[in-house]
Amino acid sequence: MKKTLTINLGGSVFHIDEDAYQLLDKYLSNLRIHFKKEEGSDEIMNDFELRISELFSERTRLGYQVISIEQVEEVIKRMGKPEEIFEEEIQDEHKSTIYDTATQMGAQSQTHTHKRLMRDPDNKILGGVAGGFAAYTGWDATAIRIILFLLMFYYGITIPIYLVLWLIIPQARTATEKLEMRGESVTIENIGKTVTDGFEKVSNNVSDYVSSEKPRNFFQKLGDIFVQVVGFILKFVVILAGIILLPGLLFGVLIMLVAVFALLVGGSSVLYHLSPFGMDWYLGAPSSLVIMGCIGCVLLFGVPLFYIGSAIATSLFHTKPLPDTGKWTLVILWVISFILLGIYFYQTGINGWNSLDWSNTSYYIL
Amino acid sequence: MNAENVKSQMRKGTLEYCILLLLKKEPAYTSDIIQKLQEARLIVVEGTLYPLLTRLKNSGLLSYQWIESTQGPPRKYYQLTESGEEFLQELEASWQQLNDTINHIKNN
Repeated sequence: MKKTLTINLGGSVFHIDEDAYQLLDKYLSNLRIHFKKEEGSDEIMNDFELRISELFSERTRLGYQVISIEQVEEVIKRMGKPEEIFEEEIQDEHKSTIYDTATQMGAQSQTHTHKRLMRDPDNKILGGVAGGFAAYTGWDATAIRIILFLLMFYYGITIPIYLVLWLIIPQARTATEKLEMRGESVTIENIGKTVTDGFEKVSNNVSDYVSSEKPRNFFQKLGDIFVQVVGFILKFVVILAGIILLPGLLFGVLIMLVAVFALLVGGSSVLYHLSPFGMDWYLGAPSSLVIMGCIGCVLLFGVPLFYIGSAIATSLFHTKPLPDTGKWTLVILWVISFILLGIYFYQTGINGWNSLDWSNTSYYIL
Repeated sequence: MNAENVKSQMRKGTLEYCILLLLKKEPAYTSDIIQKLQEARLIVVEGTLYPLLTRLKNSGLLSYQWIESTQGPPRKYYQLTESGEEFLQELEASWQQLNDTINHIKNN
C-alpha cells in the first residue's frame, strides 16, 4: 500500500505515488536551477511540465490510475537528466581537462581530480561549512561540529571564523560541484548517480542529515542529537540576528557612502566635522594623506559591512548572491584599505587607536 | 581529441538548421518535432529541444500559437517567421558551401 498525492502538472490532474512525486519534484527543481541563468527559463520549464503531463496522460489513457516511480524514471530517461541537457558543453570541457591532467599526472589523478572545498547543502546545520569540510577531509561532520561548538567557549573564536568561511566558501549547487566537493571525478555516470542519489534523499532539513548517514554507534548518535538540538537553537539565533542587524548594516553602508561622497566633494575640510576625534585625527598631516587615511578607514569598515549585509539579504530574501568578480573586488578593496591605513599611521606617527581621543565618540554614536 | 566530442559538436551545429528545415515544410507541435528528430537520430534526449526552441523563438526566428487538442490541454504549434525564413536561406547557402568544401577536399 502506498500513499498518493494529487498534482496539477501542466493543467492536468494526476494521482501520483509519494516517492514518484519526490523524484519528479527533485527533477524539476534540478532543471529549474540549471535553466535559471537562461532567458525565458519559466517558459522552458513550462514546456517541460507540459510534455511530462502529455506523457503521463498517455499512461492514464491506458487505464493506469496512478503514476508510479517507474513511470517518472522512464520520463526522466526520455527527457534527459539536467546534465545531459544543459551541461553538455561544459561536460566536454571537463572531460578534456580531466583527460589532460590524467595524462600529465598518471592514472591516480583520475580518482582524485581537483577536489574543491565547498559548502554541502545536503549536510548542513547552518551554512554547510562543517559538512563541506567533512566531505573535503573525509572526517565525521558531527565530530567537526562538536569541535567547533567547544571552541566557541574559547572567546567565541568559532563565530567570526565560521561566519567568514560561510561567506567565502561557495555552496555546491550542481551535481558537478557536489562531485568536485567529494573529490570524485566528473564523469557522466557519476553525475547521473549524484542526481538520482539526490532524488532519494529528501534534503534541506536538519532532520534528514542523520537518516542519510551510514549506521552509527551510540556515541555518534548521541553526538548527532546534540548537534541537532544546538544547531536548531543556533539557526534560530542566526535568523533573529540577521533580521535585527540587516537594517543597521544597510544604514552603516549608507553612512559610509555619504562620507565618501562628502570627502570627494568637500575635500579635507569636511573631515573635521565628520571625524569623532576632532583635529587630533589628522593633526599636522598634509590633506592628501588625510584623505587617503579616511578612504582607507571607510573601506576598512565599509567592505565587511557591505559584504555581510548582502550575504544576509541573499539568505533571507533569496536574492542573487554576489558574483565572484564582485567578491574579489571587495577583497582587493579591503586589502587596499589596510595598505592605505598602514601608510597613514606610519606617516603621521599615530600609534594605533590608543593615541586617539575617544572621549568625544559617544556623542557621535548617540 | 576524441571522436565522440567532435561528433556531438557536429550534431549540435546542425540542430538549429534541422529544426528550421522541418518547420519550413509545415508548422508542427513540439512533440512532432521531437519525433521527427528522433527518427532522424539527431537528438537523444527530448529535454535538449525545449531550451533550443525557446531560444529560437526569443530571437524571432520562430513563433508559436496555442492550438486546442482533442486529448488534453492546448499545445504549442511552432512555425517559421519571416526572419526565420531568411535565416534558413542563409544557413542553406552555408550548408551548401560546407558540402562543396568537403566534397572538394574528398575528391582532390
